[in-house]
Amino acid sequence: MASSTTITQQKKPERSLSPWQIARRKFVRNKLAMISSFFIMLVTLMSLSAPFIAPLLSPLPDISKVNIGAMNIEPNGEHLLGTDKSGRDVLTRLFYGGRISLLVGFSATLIVITLGTVVGALAGFFGGFIDSLLMRFTDFVLNFPFLVFVIVLNTILYGIVDGLWVLIMVIGALSWGGVARLVRSKVLAEKENEYILAALSIGCSPFKVITKHLLPNVISTIIVQGTLIFATMIVIESALSYLGFGVPQATPSWGNMLSSANEPDVLQGKPWIWMPPAIIITLTILSINFIGEGLKDALNPKSLR
Amino acid sequence: MLKYSIRRLLGMIPMLILISIVVFSLAKLMPGDSLSGEIDPLNTSPEYIAEMREKLGYNDPLPVQYFNWITGFMQGDFGKSTRFQIPVFDLIMEKVPNTLLLGVTALVITYIMAFIMGMYSGRRPYTLGDNAIAGFNYVMLAIPSFVAAVFAIYIFAFQLNWFPFAGSVDILVEEGSFEYYVSRMHHVLLPAIVLGAMSTASYTQFLRNDIIENSRKDFVRTARAKGTPIKKIYNVHILRNSIIPLVTFLGFDFAALIGGAIITETIFTYPGIGQLFLESVTSRDYPTLMALTMLLSFLTLFGNLLADILYGVVDPRIRLD
Repeated sequence: MASSTTITQQKKPERSLSPWQIARRKFVRNKLAMISSFFIMLVTLMSLSAPFIAPLLSPLPDISKVNIGAMNIEPNGEHLLGTDKSGRDVLTRLFYGGRISLLVGFSATLIVITLGTVVGALAGFFGGFIDSLLMRFTDFVLNFPFLVFVIVLNTILYGIVDGLWVLIMVIGALSWGGVARLVRSKVLAEKENEYILAALSIGCSPFKVITKHLLPNVISTIIVQGTLIFATMIVIESALSYLGFGVPQATPSWGNMLSSANEPDVLQGKPWIWMPPAIIITLTILSINFIGEGLKDALNPKSLR
Repeated sequence: MLKYSIRRLLGMIPMLILISIVVFSLAKLMPGDSLSGEIDPLNTSPEYIAEMREKLGYNDPLPVQYFNWITGFMQGDFGKSTRFQIPVFDLIMEKVPNTLLLGVTALVITYIMAFIMGMYSGRRPYTLGDNAIAGFNYVMLAIPSFVAAVFAIYIFAFQLNWFPFAGSVDILVEEGSFEYYVSRMHHVLLPAIVLGAMSTASYTQFLRNDIIENSRKDFVRTARAKGTPIKKIYNVHILRNSIIPLVTFLGFDFAALIGGAIITETIFTYPGIGQLFLESVTSRDYPTLMALTMLLSFLTLFGNLLADILYGVVDPRIRLD
């Protein structure tokens, strides 16, 4: 008896790591993903604090004002990235543009993930008639030529609702199909497990089974998918704004800033106006993709890294 | 196989009807009379407009209007463009060859680039060259196509002067002459490279992984045991097996090219379907807009169908019924 207690005392009971702790450790060890996370945090922080930092970095912190005296200035000590054709400071607009681009990307991702998860979980869990009804609807949404319908819808709704939210709702409402299919397939596989049967047999309501038992087991897939969708949404926002069908021209977003490259004169001779948004869009997308890949590795219990 | 294809083709019909209803409703929601460019915009007398509206059937109940529109549409009567005052059908037909040329060139570029890179990577996996190609592909996948296009114009058209930055052909050359075709190819090359590079990454990685997987199979071991040169094994035995699955990408590319063409054509001011579409939105040219929306939807549907059918054709293990 005595010896057995000493053994347990010597060997301190070690708690095994929770799945989230394991995932976090794996993620922290992934250098590329960590660097990307810091970059995204930096961009987010700069965008959020734009109204406060802008006056410190530029003599023209007001982005809505046209400054005739300061048009097309090349980068110098005063204007770190120069000014655009309306005399607005490029660096300041970059900060403010980040607010819009990230907001649109984030909100649209939220809509896509929510809609996709609800539709996918319902279809996968209930099966039968509900499944085929919801999935036909999903096929219908997936088969739309996305860009074409976003542009047409945006043109109709423009002016009825505030421009920014039209864009968010339209791209959100048209891109949830992939997530729905993914969640459905995961739920289909997961609901065959015995713990679901157990939960049902002790009388859990379908709502509780889905939210408490099924979704926690699919959440890692949804998180990874969500990260990648976030990147896609930022691309879509900037592409539409670039073409002139996205965020209203007066509001600075990265895509709107890049659209000044539509003028051959700016594109050829004034690269400081369009290069910063182009570079920051690319770096942001690249970072988010790296984070997504890192999360995929970290949340996969089978990966050894 | 045939039965499956026919069933899928028939399955497209309800989808197309649904899309046509959506397009019709969208057009009706837009301000103005959207179905035809028949009303002369210069004649503003209320009697004339009322008479024309009655004649064109705008006062009929909506289902009747829809039915009239779709019947005309099926027979190739797309209405008259409000902007150009010519039949939409002719307008679209005028632009189709340009987009087709762009799409085909882009596909050829995708295939050439993917083959070279994929075969190199597949033969020498986990080497420096393979990692460099993987890294390059990763960056290409992440850069949005319009950013790539803007940089391509800046570097290759403005700095290096290798390519023209806009249009589809020089105005000075005579149509039909040899220079004319050279000029067209010259104009289409840069947008096609940008459009083609978008899908190169996925092709390359797919080909690479497939080659690596096939190189571990029994038929490769047999070929080696018989003394077949490694080069021949890779270029003939393995490649032939790895090309097949790539064919299925063609269908999806179809849909991707449509979306890509809208952006690429606009940036390069290349007069094709995509540019016509965006112009019809900005100038509120509804008949053109509706016809193009229907056309692009149909092509997307068709591309997805093609991908599904090709799966079954190239891999008989997949049963389609």
